Amino acid sequence: MLYREAGQFKTSYAADQAIFPIRQDRWFVAAVLIVAYVGVPLLMKGREDYLYQAVLIPFLILSLAAIGLNLLTGYAGLLSLGTGAFMAVGAYATYKITTAFPELNIIAVFLLSGLIAAAVGIMFGLPSLRIKGFYLAVATLAAQFFILWLFNKVAWFYNYAPSGTITAPPRTVLGIEVTGPHATAEVRYLVVLAFVTVFALVAKNLVRGRIGRQWMAIRDMDIAAEIIGIRMLPNKLIAFAISSFYCGVAGALYIFCYLGSAETEAFDILLSFSVLFMIIIGGLGSILGSILGAAFITLLPVFLTNAPQLVGLGMRADLQKHFEFMIFGSLIVVFLIVEPNGLARLWQITKEKLRRWPFPY
Amino acid sequence: MGTLTPFLLTPFTEIWGSPVFFAEVVLTGLLTGVMYSLVALGFVLIFKASRVFNYAQGIMVLFAALTLVGLMEHGVPVWLAIGLTIVVMVGLAVAVERLMLRHLVNQPDIILFMATIGLAFFLEGFGEMVWGSNVKELNIGIPDNPVEFGGILLSSFDIIAALTGAVMVFGLALFFQKTAIGRALRAVADDHQAALSVGIPLKTIWITVWSVAGVVALVTGIMWGAKSGVQFSLSLIALKALPVLILGGFTSVPGAIIGGLIIGVGEKIAEIYWGPALGGAIENWFAYMLAMVFLLFRPQGLFGERIIERV
Amino acid sequence: MTAAATAQASAAVALADEIPAPRATGNVLLAVDDISLSFGGVQALSHVSFDIREGEIRAIIGPNGAGKSSMLNVINGFYHPNSGTITYKGTARREMRPDQAARSGIARTFQNIALFRGMTTLDNIMTGRNTMMRRNFLWQALYWGPARREEIEHRAKVEEIIDFLEIQAIRKTPVGRLPYGLQKRVELGRALAAEPDLLLLDEPMAGMNTEEKEDMCRFILDVNAQLGTTIALIEHDMSVVMDISDRVVVLDYGVKIADGPPDEVRTDPQVIEAYLGVTHRED
Repeated sequence: MLYREAGQFKTSYAADQAIFPIRQDRWFVAAVLIVAYVGVPLLMKGREDYLYQAVLIPFLILSLAAIGLNLLTGYAGLLSLGTGAFMAVGAYATYKITTAFPELNIIAVFLLSGLIAAAVGIMFGLPSLRIKGFYLAVATLAAQFFILWLFNKVAWFYNYAPSGTITAPPRTVLGIEVTGPHATAEVRYLVVLAFVTVFALVAKNLVRGRIGRQWMAIRDMDIAAEIIGIRMLPNKLIAFAISSFYCGVAGALYIFCYLGSAETEAFDILLSFSVLFMIIIGGLGSILGSILGAAFITLLPVFLTNAPQLVGLGMRADLQKHFEFMIFGSLIVVFLIVEPNGLARLWQITKEKLRRWPFPY
Repeated sequence: MGTLTPFLLTPFTEIWGSPVFFAEVVLTGLLTGVMYSLVALGFVLIFKASRVFNYAQGIMVLFAALTLVGLMEHGVPVWLAIGLTIVVMVGLAVAVERLMLRHLVNQPDIILFMATIGLAFFLEGFGEMVWGSNVKELNIGIPDNPVEFGGILLSSFDIIAALTGAVMVFGLALFFQKTAIGRALRAVADDHQAALSVGIPLKTIWITVWSVAGVVALVTGIMWGAKSGVQFSLSLIALKALPVLILGGFTSVPGAIIGGLIIGVGEKIAEIYWGPALGGAIENWFAYMLAMVFLLFRPQGLFGERIIERV
Repeated sequence: MTAAATAQASAAVALADEIPAPRATGNVLLAVDDISLSFGGVQALSHVSFDIREGEIRAIIGPNGAGKSSMLNVINGFYHPNSGTITYKGTARREMRPDQAARSGIARTFQNIALFRGMTTLDNIMTGRNTMMRRNFLWQALYWGPARREEIEHRAKVEEIIDFLEIQAIRKTPVGRLPYGLQKRVELGRALAAEPDLLLLDEPMAGMNTEEKEDMCRFILDVNAQLGTTIALIEHDMSVVMDISDRVVVLDYGVKIADGPPDEVRTDPQVIEAYLGVTHRED
């Protein structure tokens, strides 16, 4: 009886095209936002940072990357295995810019690095005009390996540090430390949360409008799309650009607000695969799905690490790792069999059932 | 001009200066190439028969090698161990068909691809749980003696590996072209449902193909493992196979071979002669760049099928 | 008039609101001249010439494999002929890119439905408006303001088409889930959304039962009558062709064998021979 649309009539197209047309959805999202921005920090005051550091911050950052990849692969249908590399571009660009111009506002630097990542994305996206599907994935793999090699070999990128790592220098926004060793987990969490909120909204706007439709048209049947007047070149390149922008910003946040420092290994092919899993399990072609998928993939290892203790079974660390892999792998297969459209579709089905509850149909 | 010399001039002068060394480099490259071809072969088989890009092929190589070594460590004699491993790989094929493929009939290719990645994770965890994760030595008695050949130094091991590869390829090519099962496999690759509707037993076909791929994986595992030890990095070979497949075409058995050889040689030459100028380790990405450039001019690979789109 | 017919008529009028409706004026809208097309060894079209006049319904018929779809593909730029020219709205050219054709007022439907399966009916038809939407992606990212106004403006137009085709109930359904007949209708909607001057229909009634065919005929006639859209139509059902077309072109093995009003073509001995073996039920 709770979730009913009865009585909610849309009297304008604008209302019909809103992101959350049903009133209960709007309340729900408002509640989630309040919990996220206010509830969590209150809850976490005075407690140790584990929840932030191990769960929330990586989840949010990876949601951002997942949204980026979903725009490219889920909406535009261009398979990319180079997410890690584009994230690396964002991270290293931020590092270089902020060490060269320490006075620049770090938020601006993040966005600037996103633009640089977008440019790189366009470059490696050019082959998509001639090649599709798996073949395109190879081009993105080329990006993945080449870019990481570049950042490894050319010492200029890590300012000639002997260890080869880049470290986030302390930076402040409005007097509060947001990066560096003294930035509190709470502050970093809020910064990342703000980014994700804004970027998710922007992504949703893009996909419900003309460009989202153009991407989906290209994905579903590019020949027909071209015939009705949708041009391949600008649309595909914009997809790469925007997707890489998102991944670049996510990469910058990954180092600056999460890890603190890293080498290129942090952005290796395993990360690319992780993000791809997120959008497949979460749901291709769904912004919500990207976020749900990121939650799933971030939480799973945490769960698997801690669950045995909770149930009273201790396990040797390496045996645990093997177990994790096995469970992870099986879950993916099971998921793909049961619901290939991902968590987002499961969520949709739940809502549809809720609409009718307590009636079966 | 000084900065360009290492790129445009030095490599060629070096090649010209010591042709014997160059020949050795080429041969080493060819032999590495044979290894790549073997891996690519496993992919082609499964892709040809079911349009599934089996990411788990790399892990299957590792898994097969691990099983073999594990059995041998427990005192099982070599030939029996090989036979048992083949049985295990066939068992794996049956399990994969039953638990995974059957439920994913006619799903889009990317879903199947993702499922094989899940399979890869599973097999990795499983294999390492059962047999342990430290590097193992694999010695099945293939002689590794230096052989001289017109002034060029080779190892008998490499020659045997190359011959084995050649035999496998030849046999498989014949299999696909001449036999009824080969035809049925090609039908399945085209359209699962259509193949079902003309009575082709999808289940049997898949089990057959995955078993054969498993045996290829075993052979590959033996060759690679004997050379560099049985360890996790073996599974990353899967990624190297992609450029090979691009060059050769995803559905061509001879293409896998030629593609593998080209990549093997190309990589080696690039690393030895151009590597020093770029700081080394070019092998990480050279194959992909080569494949990408190739794609721009010939998207279907050397022997792949021309993709014609109709509306 | 029945209630449904009244509603239909007023929807068509709404659709036609801003556009004057010329009847077949006799001016040539599109002319193909000496078009030849071959693929590898197959000669799909040989020296085909005919014209399509403004405001008429032109049927292109012929046995299977006659080259009819290829002809449409040439007209909208998907295939490039080996020789010959296409004169459209006075401009003669050999080749045209498909998106150029779309922008100059040619829209089409496809033999095997080419809808975007992942999208809803509404979204599919909205993609037809694509060439008329101007706001770039930065405005869209913001959504508030110009981009939103544009969306709403085009949405209104698309809703008129949805009313006209009587597909209101399925506007939010992903088209992949629709039955065949409705998918064909949605595809017609997408073509109409582009407000074309020339509408190419490739077997719009294939696979439909009699009722669905009647509906489709009604839509096609209304589009032609109320909007003045010129229509080129490939169709196998002879009764449909005879009933609704103004002139007919007959192709056989890529060669034109007849050209004229339906009655003339029907009695042409060459045409009858080409169709020999395919029974044509006398009405």
